[in-house]
Amino acid sequence: MIVRDLLAISTGNLWRMKLRTTLTVAGIVIAIAAFVTMASFGAGTMENIERQFHDLGLLSTMQVYPQRRPNDPEAFRGPKLDVAALDRFAKIPGVLLVYPFDPFTVKVRLRDSLIDARAQSLSYAAMRTKLFSKMRAGKIFENDSSRSAIISSDLLRKVGAKSADSVIGQPLIVSVQVSTIDSAFGHVIVDRGESALDRIRRIHLDSLLNNSDYRGRILRTEANEAVRRFVNGFLNARRTVSDTLTICGVIEAEQVGRLRMEPVIIPFKTAERFSTAGMSGNPTDLFAAMSAGNLFSAPDDRAGKSFSQVTINFDPHVFYGPIKDSVEAQGYRTFSFAAEFEQIQKAFIYVNMALGAVGLLALFTASLGIVNTMVMSILERKREIGIFKSLGADEGEIRVLFLVESAIIGFIGSAVGIVSGWVITRIATVVAHFYMRREGIPEMELFALPLWLIFIALTVGIGVAVLAGSYPAARAARIDPVEALRND
Amino acid sequence: MTDNPFLRTIDLCRHYERGHQKVRAIDGVSLDVGRGEFLAIVGSSGSGKSTLLNLLAGLDTPSSGSVEFEGAALSAMSRKQLAAYRAHRIGMIFQSFNLISHYTALQNVETALFFNGTPPADRRRLAMEALEGLGLADRVLHRPADLSGGEQQRVAVARAIVKKPEILLADEPTGNLDFENAQQIARLLSDLNRTGLTIMMVTHNLEMARECSHRAIRMHYGKVVDTGVPMTDLKNRP
Repeated sequence: MIVRDLLAISTGNLWRMKLRTTLTVAGIVIAIAAFVTMASFGAGTMENIERQFHDLGLLSTMQVYPQRRPNDPEAFRGPKLDVAALDRFAKIPGVLLVYPFDPFTVKVRLRDSLIDARAQSLSYAAMRTKLFSKMRAGKIFENDSSRSAIISSDLLRKVGAKSADSVIGQPLIVSVQVSTIDSAFGHVIVDRGESALDRIRRIHLDSLLNNSDYRGRILRTEANEAVRRFVNGFLNARRTVSDTLTICGVIEAEQVGRLRMEPVIIPFKTAERFSTAGMSGNPTDLFAAMSAGNLFSAPDDRAGKSFSQVTINFDPHVFYGPIKDSVEAQGYRTFSFAAEFEQIQKAFIYVNMALGAVGLLALFTASLGIVNTMVMSILERKREIGIFKSLGADEGEIRVLFLVESAIIGFIGSAVGIVSGWVITRIATVVAHFYMRREGIPEMELFALPLWLIFIALTVGIGVAVLAGSYPAARAARIDPVEALRND
Repeated sequence: MTDNPFLRTIDLCRHYERGHQKVRAIDGVSLDVGRGEFLAIVGSSGSGKSTLLNLLAGLDTPSSGSVEFEGAALSAMSRKQLAAYRAHRIGMIFQSFNLISHYTALQNVETALFFNGTPPADRRRLAMEALEGLGLADRVLHRPADLSGGEQQRVAVARAIVKKPEILLADEPTGNLDFENAQQIARLLSDLNRTGLTIMMVTHNLEMARECSHRAIRMHYGKVVDTGVPMTDLKNRP
């Protein structure tokens, strides 16, 4: 018996029993529609995440950090994340761009508002990556020396600007107050007209040598005084470095994972004026410099400067693994969005499996319907099976005949179920979009019906149907033809 | 027994249990059938005639003894080989016709060609030829329920012979027919036998057995009680 005969006989029998076939198929349709709806929600969510990762170029971005001590997360160990390290990263095959995250504190004046803010410098090449592509208005600066700046939409809100377009081309006065370690040390030596020598002279040398109480008290007092003078010198001997830039763009500032973006972005060369003038005087910067080991570097000593974070942008067609390994082999920590995305994908496999399991439960129930239908069919067609056997059908052919009938039920049920599931997701999408619009949430596609899902739904639907039909088929194959053909 | 029979049974037994009772449906039947022979098997109900045909067709398995077709024992064949034996070499006709009720006459005849490897392109033509040959050209698209008993049995005969079997096993082919239709089927079987087809026919109708067959055997409680008297001389038949 050839496939065409099997299909002809099977479809003929199913067509003859229209009502029963329809009811059996309906069970599969409902189960597959439920499966498709739930799995397509998982797939849709995954696609949304993937799209966001892709749109921001996160899958080709890696963050690099210096190693931290296990018992003291604030303290670094291992090699510094300095300019030399950046040069080494840039030479790793597949790496397109390396740039540091080097934030500093600024005061910005926009219109009538004066705001304390954080700024970062970025190269033109870095600004052109997808990471910074979400501009609300304007465009990125034209080169590294451009006297312009990009502000975030958050800063825009703080200054009370009504629209992003309204600030494009407006002046942004950026100023930093810088301190130097030199002035801090200067104050340790002379502060408020009193020199360190004057204080030393007031110490009783005999008591210092012979009286332990006196010695302890003096050491604590003088240590505290030295720190006070250092901090006083650092914080109060500041000078202001100021520049007027033009706002060229407003960026949609988003923090994605460990990706940080400051509210003011200044072209790399233009920002050197601020970043090399000295430390801001902000205690945070002081501690950061201490932590990074830069405290005593000269302010314009770029080679000696180290960073807390570096971003590597690599070729999207290159696998991140070797780059990550190469960077980590140099003694740094890495964070790869691609690796995180893999974890998310793995997590979604479980989510999809859980969602799919609900659909499969319905499919299991429907499969009982198939068993019932096929068993009934066998009882009714016992004589027909006997006739086939008397005409030369072997057991295998009878078994296959009934399995094909089950498979056809599964195929029709799955196909209609997939279409039904798709229709349900479309209706759900329309309803969801209505609510998203009403709540002011950006519309997004909640469901996706990728080819793999269609393939899985068809395979599972047909597979379960064939599995359900295997017992009746085996029973049909075992029918004794003599019994089946006996005159009633 | 002849030296080289077409179909032979050797001490064939088919016993089975029914409750605590052992039924000897066939009990030590040894029989030779020559090629081209028309053998009638007569006997009362329950004498084992149909069981014998089922054993010869390979539909049933003997408890002991054997059936040999052209020297090959059916018991040595696998189920697949037995199915192929039925598909290629055996044609069967039943008292109750055993047509598939939802198939047309043409489809019923075509069904016999599903299992013997006949190319799909040839099936319809062969089935049409078989039905036309039996005077059913205008009934090909009728379903069994729309046909008379005689017509149904002719469709069954067409189904049995369309694959050009070497032996036709007919189990009470006229049992459900009126006299006229029974005569018609009897003539049809005689004609088929004249073309060289070996026929073994189970019947209650002694008159018909005498008219059609070369010899008849009589069965009683599973045994052949009359090994058979030639009804006609085979050599004298055209």
